Amino acid sequence: MTNEEWIGHLSASGAGHETAIGELRTAILRGLRASLAGWSRRVGREFDSLVEDFAQEAILKILDNLDSFRSESKFTTWAMKIAIRIALTELRRKRWQNFSLDQMVETGGITLPEKKRDWSDPEVNAERKDAIAIVFNLINEALTEKQRKAIMAVGVKGVPLDVLAERMKTNRNALYKLIHDARLKLKAAMEERGLSVGDLLAAFDG
Amino acid sequence: MISWIARPMVRARMSGPSREMLAMLQKTEEHECSCDDAYALLDLYAEMVAKGEDPSPLMPLVERHLDMCDTCREEFQALLIAIKSS
Repeated sequence: MTNEEWIGHLSASGAGHETAIGELRTAILRGLRASLAGWSRRVGREFDSLVEDFAQEAILKILDNLDSFRSESKFTTWAMKIAIRIALTELRRKRWQNFSLDQMVETGGITLPEKKRDWSDPEVNAERKDAIAIVFNLINEALTEKQRKAIMAVGVKGVPLDVLAERMKTNRNALYKLIHDARLKLKAAMEERGLSVGDLLAAFDG
Repeated sequence: MISWIARPMVRARMSGPSREMLAMLQKTEEHECSCDDAYALLDLYAEMVAKGEDPSPLMPLVERHLDMCDTCREEFQALLIAIKSS
């Protein structure tokens, strides 16, 4: 179907509408099963039923937002984008449901856990430890508590932005801005101290 | 253009989170777009990548955002897989 046909059938009622809904559902289910294959092992037996739920929720949202489709892409791509956002938001929420922001941050500062590696060259090891200490100290000195928590959760612990936004009672955009401002502050703080990010990175790449 | 196909679904922290954070700082720019702004263009962006086109001249801020935001990048990579499966 062309974009115009999709919009026409989905906006109207009758046989054309039902056929379009059926085709949309098929397309969304196919796309979700392919794109979320990596999650199926993690989720287990519930996966198929979750995908059905995501598709249903997506169809409702798509029908509610037909007016916002700008025909810059294929209708099915735009629809799939909505379905994926719904699916991944819920899957991340389930995966991180036991994450506690309060427990994450140690009193008086933050820790930067590094994987134990066999950095057999003591000089290289020392340079890396210095680089880590510099980053750690700057985060503690230059950032607000909110910025520290956010940058540690997202940048160090890998907490998804939407999960953390919910914990911090904010939204994804505001959180991204908070972290962006924190990164700019850290960069400025390093420059003030005559530190080069490139030189510190070299300690890890050496 | 960043080779999206080769990049892992989740950024691999090969040398520890500190290295990762430094790499992010190095790429930080004054002007970055929001998650919503990137999401608004994600379908167009993903279609161009799927066709083998380079969307970065048209949407440089989206490209930058996807490089910086793991959450949005995961959605983009999922959309790319979905497009290719259709």
